[in-house]
Amino acid sequence: MDFSLSEEEQSVRDWVRTFVRKEIQPLEQEVLRRERANQPGLTHDVLVELQDKAKASGFWGVQTPEEYGGMGLGAVMSALLEAELGRSFVQFRFGGYADNILYHANDEQKQRYLLPTLSGERRSCFAITEPGAGSDARAIRTSARQDGTDWIINGEKTFITGGNEADFTMVFAVTDKEKGANGGVTCFLVDRDQGWRSEYIDTMGEWGPAALVFEDVRVPKENILGEVGRGFELAMKWIGRGRYMLPARALGACERLVEMAVEHANTRVTFGESIANRQAIQWMIADSAVEIEALRWLVLHAAWVVDQGGDSRHVQSIAKLYGGQKANEIVDRVLQIHGGMGYTRELPVERWYRELRLLRIYEGTDEIQRRTIARNILKGHASISGTLG
Amino acid sequence: MPNIVVLVKQVPDTYSERRLSDSDHTLDRDSADAVLDEINERAVEEALLIKEAQGGEVTVLSVGPDRATEAIRKALSMGADKAVHVSDPALHGSCVIQTSKVIAAAVGKVDGVDLVIAGNEATDGRSGAVPAILAELLGYPQLTHARKVVIEGTTIKVTRETDEGLTHLEASLPAVVSVGEKINEPRYPSFKGIMAAKKKPVETLTVADLGIDAGEVGLASATSTVVEAAPKPPRAAGQKVEDEGDGGAKIAEYLVGQKLI
Ligand SMILES: Cc1cc2nc3c(=O)[nH]c(=O)nc-3n(C[C@H](O)[C@H](O)[C@H](O)COP(=O)(O)OP(=O)(O)OC[C@H]3O[C@@H](n4cnc5c(N)ncnc54)[C@H](O)[C@@H]3O)c2cc1C
Repeated sequence: MDFSLSEEEQSVRDWVRTFVRKEIQPLEQEVLRRERANQPGLTHDVLVELQDKAKASGFWGVQTPEEYGGMGLGAVMSALLEAELGRSFVQFRFGGYADNILYHANDEQKQRYLLPTLSGERRSCFAITEPGAGSDARAIRTSARQDGTDWIINGEKTFITGGNEADFTMVFAVTDKEKGANGGVTCFLVDRDQGWRSEYIDTMGEWGPAALVFEDVRVPKENILGEVGRGFELAMKWIGRGRYMLPARALGACERLVEMAVEHANTRVTFGESIANRQAIQWMIADSAVEIEALRWLVLHAAWVVDQGGDSRHVQSIAKLYGGQKANEIVDRVLQIHGGMGYTRELPVERWYRELRLLRIYEGTDEIQRRTIARNILKGHASISGTLG
Repeated sequence: MPNIVVLVKQVPDTYSERRLSDSDHTLDRDSADAVLDEINERAVEEALLIKEAQGGEVTVLSVGPDRATEAIRKALSMGADKAVHVSDPALHGSCVIQTSKVIAAAVGKVDGVDLVIAGNEATDGRSGAVPAILAELLGYPQLTHARKVVIEGTTIKVTRETDEGLTHLEASLPAVVSVGEKINEPRYPSFKGIMAAKKKPVETLTVADLGIDAGEVGLASATSTVVEAAPKPPRAAGQKVEDEGDGGAKIAEYLVGQKLI
């Protein structure tokens, strides 16, 4: 069993670490200031500038296949890079990304949607959740009715990440009520100028998702992604695209947060002694260190199973659940160690505290992950002895 | 087409806490992350700029423990062609003169060297003497604290920047140049460069390979050693001046009191 990184893996990881330290962390104060003035922390222009800079060194399209000019990196490497990016709360991501299901587009659709998304000219959003269908995605009611060769979409989507900025959406609608999620849901690529509108949803985070409203939005059949009735499979494919990436980002955040806590503990003196000498503080540091270590290997192991091409759903659920839970416990301890300062907006701790809360909700709540894990174990789809059997 | 050797050193990361070991006051290499010294990244960058404009070959040379391969690999992934790594336990605790002798012997192993580029001062030892000693040992002209380097045929022109001002130097190759902070902005290695670095040749040598007796190097025969080390005392708390409309005057008063103005 080898837990070490290859030379290349280490160099690629170190590259991102340096990039974050030199290019992204220096922006943090300004990003905080802007967010606190209710402006987008990282403006699109600055994001593109950073992405271009990374691209000049070939860091573009981390998982995008090489035939599309990407780096074509595997899951383990991608998780390592994501953890490095997570060390800053600045919402940086490398350019050259497109939703995995856009690769299922036909050639003509690839020209219109996939390639411009990769190049950054177009922006997508993925819309399945509805006011009446979240965890239970099979309960969606947005409908698409055939009219000649066109389809007419009606319904409302909610909590759609990127929905305010997107110029097209991958929307899931019921095309056969009888069949529902079993062959009756279809995915449509719909441009904003074809008639849907978005409404900003204010959240406890620094950025808000959108509600998307479809009122008799007419789209030609050329805008169907994949086949009529096969949409639900695409939706599951999108959700399963890399669940390990969410706890990977949280892992980086936890590392940075505990580093901040350690520094504070070592410098803050109360009752004539550094608080780092108090067992109460030491135990918080120790528990966090243990959980970060466990999280690191859960994430990398899940990514490793993805790279092996096996069924990774179970291990990804485990990593996602553990990451969501522990990241929230850790940020809470880090805030506690900082005392009153942790509660202020001088430091980014409270910001992370709010942001990390989302991890327990989106892309499968804690409860839904537990449901998946329990079912796998109870039905014998997964072994309690893990992948070693 | 200049044949360039760049001296690189792996140093403890300035972002982490750095310490000397308790036993012999040499650098405690385990206490901090080790990285390619940033000033060396600038030295590599300068060599690559010259190579890109005029052709030639860039060899990186490092004297350091096995772990220094990481720093060497970084330089190779930036675009250097090959490397020489002198690694020998006997080197532990070597002084600047011993180190320079080893570097000089290793430079001699590279055929037809036109130019040696170094950083003017490493961020760990900060003696800033190696480039000059090396030039002396090799019998090459030394052009230190370079802000700008121009190569024209067999002539090298350097703008030297020190606190006193700018000096324009000219010498004929081969020569030793040391570069300052302002010489350039080092590039990030490219993803392709990182992948290619592993295949680039790295020659590893011991002091014996260089024809140097192990007794001539290392702590026991060093010309200078650290006798004692103490951490810097924490900075004393500053003095706060309340501005009640007379802040400027109070600050001036303080500065006069400190004999600063
Ligand atoms: C910021 C943000 C961004 C999002 N981005 C997107 C996006 O881009 N695209 C998209 O389509 N959706 C997106 N979502 C939606 C997200 O995936 C859903 O909010 C999530 O799946 C939960 O659904 P819900 O909100 O309807 O909660 P519900 O499903 O109503 O759940 C309510 C509570 O009941 C629990 N629960 C539900 N069912 C069970 C059960 N069977 N057993 C036990 N407990 C259960 C849940 O865990 C939860 O605690 C986003 C959400 C947020 C908050």
